[in-house]
Amino acid sequence: MQGSRAAQFELYKLYAKAMYNVALRILNYEEEAEDVLQEAFLDAFTRIVDFRQETTFGLWLKQIVINKSINYLRKRKMEFVSTDEISEVPDEDSFDDYEVQLQAEEIRTAITQLPDGYRVVLSLYLLEGYDHEEIAHILKISENTSRTQYMRAKKKLKSILEQKGMRDE
Amino acid sequence: MNNRLETFVKENRKAFDVMEPSAGLWAKIEQELDNKKKKKPVKLYLWMSAAAAIVVVFGLAWLYVGKLQNKDLEIADVSASYAKKDVHFAGLITEKRDSLAIFAAANPELYKKFTADLKKLDEDYERLKTELPSSPNQTFVVKAMVKNREIQLQLLKQQLLIINQVDDYKRVNQI
Repeated sequence: MQGSRAAQFELYKLYAKAMYNVALRILNYEEEAEDVLQEAFLDAFTRIVDFRQETTFGLWLKQIVINKSINYLRKRKMEFVSTDEISEVPDEDSFDDYEVQLQAEEIRTAITQLPDGYRVVLSLYLLEGYDHEEIAHILKISENTSRTQYMRAKKKLKSILEQKGMRDE
Repeated sequence: MNNRLETFVKENRKAFDVMEPSAGLWAKIEQELDNKKKKKPVKLYLWMSAAAAIVVVFGLAWLYVGKLQNKDLEIADVSASYAKKDVHFAGLITEKRDSLAIFAAANPELYKKFTADLKKLDEDYERLKTELPSSPNQTFVVKAMVKNREIQLQLLKQQLLIINQVDDYKRVNQI
């Protein structure tokens, strides 16, 4: 029932790196990300019987990784603050008008410099491909909060990148 | 909508997954998996022996108490058919209580509440039993006793259903 060890290793090889990056983006700490990865794989392997074929194994695993990562974050007493009260409309600003060369590595580093709340929402939306409805569900916040947080995170990201660009010149 | 950042990320998605977990991580996972495999049969074995022990203890206690109370007036002395029902219900109740006890560890508060409800019914039963010898209408008391058993059983069934659902819900929400 548990599947052979070789098959488990194949799954590990296939998904470990991607899942590690998912966890790392949320947690920003390599040690914690590894803990999450380990727990997630153990969970997945021991509960493989619960796995329903409605999704792929990868998506299922990713869900486990994200939930575990968020739990770790919450343990750090991080709160996904509701910003509903301050309903200033964030200006839909785009990256079109700015000078910095978009480099993946730069963006990646800049994301790690975002505060926890921004980083999580931005990562889930931009990199993990969840929509705001799903993010609201995962983080137990409102859809509107997710949208606002994302807009602000993007703004902040832009300013980090701009600062970096200026320093480089 | 067509934002440069979103588009860029989408097109260069792979460039964002650059970090690698440490090489020894699989070994750790493998070790944990081995531990779990070894633990499982032991756990099951323990559970089964615990269950067997409970059954033996209950059986002995039942025999012992039965002997002690032999001088008391029993339901059987009043009505054989009600006594049969009573024994039947009592057996089912013990069985259901055991099943409930298995869930106890996972849901301690719920279990506490349930046992409190059951305890009240049990006390009622005992009170009826002490009343039985001196009662002018013994058949009436016996009827009430059997009814009490029946209610206990219904309650237990409900409780098991609830606790099962709670358990399922918890399991589903774990993911």
